[in-house]
Amino acid sequence: MNEILFVILRRLRRPLIILIIAYAVSVWGLVLIPGVDKDGNVVYLGFFHALYFISYTATTIGFGELPFEFTDAQRAWTIFCIYSCVVSWAYALGSIFHLSQDQTFRDAIARRRFALRVAALQEPFILIVGYGQSGIMLARMLDRMGLRMVIVEMRKDRAASIEISEFEHPPEFLAADGRLPDVLVDAGVTHRKCMAMVAIAGNDDSNQSVAIGGTVLNPSVRIIARVHTPIARANLESFRNIELINPYELFAGNIRLDLGNPEKLRVIEWLSGLPGGLRPDPLNLPKGHWVVCGKGNFARYVAAALDSAGVTWSIADYDPRVHVESDDMLRQGSAQDELVAAGVDRAVGLVACTESDAVNLAIVTRARSINPGVYVVIRQVNAANASLIEASMASLRFLKAEVVSHKVRQLLTSPLLIRFLRHVDENEALAGQTSALLEKFVGDKVPFMWVFDCYTAYAGLKEALSPEIDPPLSIGDILINPESHAEHLKAVPLLLLRKKKELALPSGDTRLLPGDRILFAGQRDVEAVQKRFYLEPSPLAYVRTGVEPPRSWLFKGVVRNLKARLSVAGGQD
Amino acid sequence: MNLEKVIFGFFVILACTLNFGFFIGDIGNEQLHHPAHLFAAVVVNLIALVMKFGDRTHIGATHLATSLVAMLQLLAAAFVWMWHVSIKHLPMTLDTMANIISLSGGALIANLISVVLLVSETLRQTR
Repeated sequence: MNEILFVILRRLRRPLIILIIAYAVSVWGLVLIPGVDKDGNVVYLGFFHALYFISYTATTIGFGELPFEFTDAQRAWTIFCIYSCVVSWAYALGSIFHLSQDQTFRDAIARRRFALRVAALQEPFILIVGYGQSGIMLARMLDRMGLRMVIVEMRKDRAASIEISEFEHPPEFLAADGRLPDVLVDAGVTHRKCMAMVAIAGNDDSNQSVAIGGTVLNPSVRIIARVHTPIARANLESFRNIELINPYELFAGNIRLDLGNPEKLRVIEWLSGLPGGLRPDPLNLPKGHWVVCGKGNFARYVAAALDSAGVTWSIADYDPRVHVESDDMLRQGSAQDELVAAGVDRAVGLVACTESDAVNLAIVTRARSINPGVYVVIRQVNAANASLIEASMASLRFLKAEVVSHKVRQLLTSPLLIRFLRHVDENEALAGQTSALLEKFVGDKVPFMWVFDCYTAYAGLKEALSPEIDPPLSIGDILINPESHAEHLKAVPLLLLRKKKELALPSGDTRLLPGDRILFAGQRDVEAVQKRFYLEPSPLAYVRTGVEPPRSWLFKGVVRNLKARLSVAGGQD
Repeated sequence: MNLEKVIFGFFVILACTLNFGFFIGDIGNEQLHHPAHLFAAVVVNLIALVMKFGDRTHIGATHLATSLVAMLQLLAAAFVWMWHVSIKHLPMTLDTMANIISLSGGALIANLISVVLLVSETLRQTR
């Protein structure tokens, strides 16, 4: 508020002083000039009447000459008053309107209102710095999941596009440089409801500044930053709360896995797809010679992955800018030799990853003309060029925004899943077991993920989690449908988290202790069914005994009575 | 020499002196206190107030506060006068006049503080 007030006060200083002087001189003049009443006596206008007269004259309201008709001298002075006061008013109003149109002033107001709205947020929210392609995709995804967002974007046109795009919960947004700490503070990085900050602005330099700024301002907030180079990764890795996403590395890692251990990749992709979607097909990348067309970090990461998978590759250094470098090319009429020299005629796979979608498409077309059966991996640079890339009929497509937004969503919404996937990556046997279990209980779709918390604070679990209960509560119990005893819920427990210990794929008879958290993968509505165990003890008693226990005081008494009689009767027999 | 400082100092000191000019004299004697002096004091104080707008320093804020106090007291004095003479059409009485002068006396203190601030700020300049 202060800033805006100060801007107003400073800008209006001159018009206000001019207005005061004009009024003062006019009033003073009227007080000094003698007038006459009806009887011809000389009377002077008091300050009160003079101010009254000037007030309505200066604002051009004009009630007439009060309290008596004016003398000619007074009228002459009034002419002066009218012109000076009206002009002063015009000047003052003009200044105010000019101020309201002023860009700095409007920015200050927009910033202030943004900060106030963010400060007033009552729900948990995610702060996104950068609204480029990845930002747009991520924002849509999180919005569909019902999460609130605050977005900071440096470019004004992009920030303005937030307002016109459709969101279920319109995010708060600001066009400002996220590298500045005060912008981050206004955007709520220190807000107690800030769940996480995602730095996906432009290049590595700015992301580093944003991420480090965020972690310094609020050491307890989770930060997810996108990086493209090993140097940026090394710089940020020393900060405890910063999680890093390198889309190139992720994609190259998938290529490496598919060439080396396709089963593992299948499980990872299956679990990390969009819930409810179809199970992704295996890539089946062919083994043999690969040609990588392009340069830069992406090409380097892919080449390194191919290397570690043990296949040969060669790089065709392709410059998307069209120009002729040597006379040789002119003589040959085309640059096709580049591809041939890299061995495209004997290659099994081609990676087209220059910085231009059109050039990538051209490379694919030309490579196919030489070697029609080649497996094509294409890089899509701009999300808007989807139709162009589709025309290439490539087997595999890399779109940075897609990789980044999916990974961020996963990190934000299912951190336990990330831990489980780490287990899958380390343990060779786990992938096969997981896919067998998923096929048996969940089916072919990408499963929904949720976490079941065994906290004694839940009324439904309090009794079952007490140490003296026998038999102890196990995972198998909460996998039974609380509505029909015979039905197994369509869900698989993936990970049991007990304090710092993690147990992947816990079996059904695993005992549950207070404080345990279990990650489940299952069909759409299973979560809601399972969460019924939280609310009251009867569903749990039902699934454990097969009998619906009485709930009211009266029936509890009746049942106790009946049981006692039965046991007495049994004793007599 | 900084013209802005000259103008600023001029108005701050003039606000104080005009206020003093109106205040001085027997407290209940209306003949010793001319309304034109009060009018001039109000106008100059108003200008001094506006000139103090928009200075973000601590001393600037204190300046603004003193001016606001002076303005409040002088306007109250002018209002009492107006109410008694121009609206109720009564002849000036001793207690109303004493009331007006007391109010302007308070404004005078605020204006004096303002001048003290101005002088101390000037003395702090080592150049």
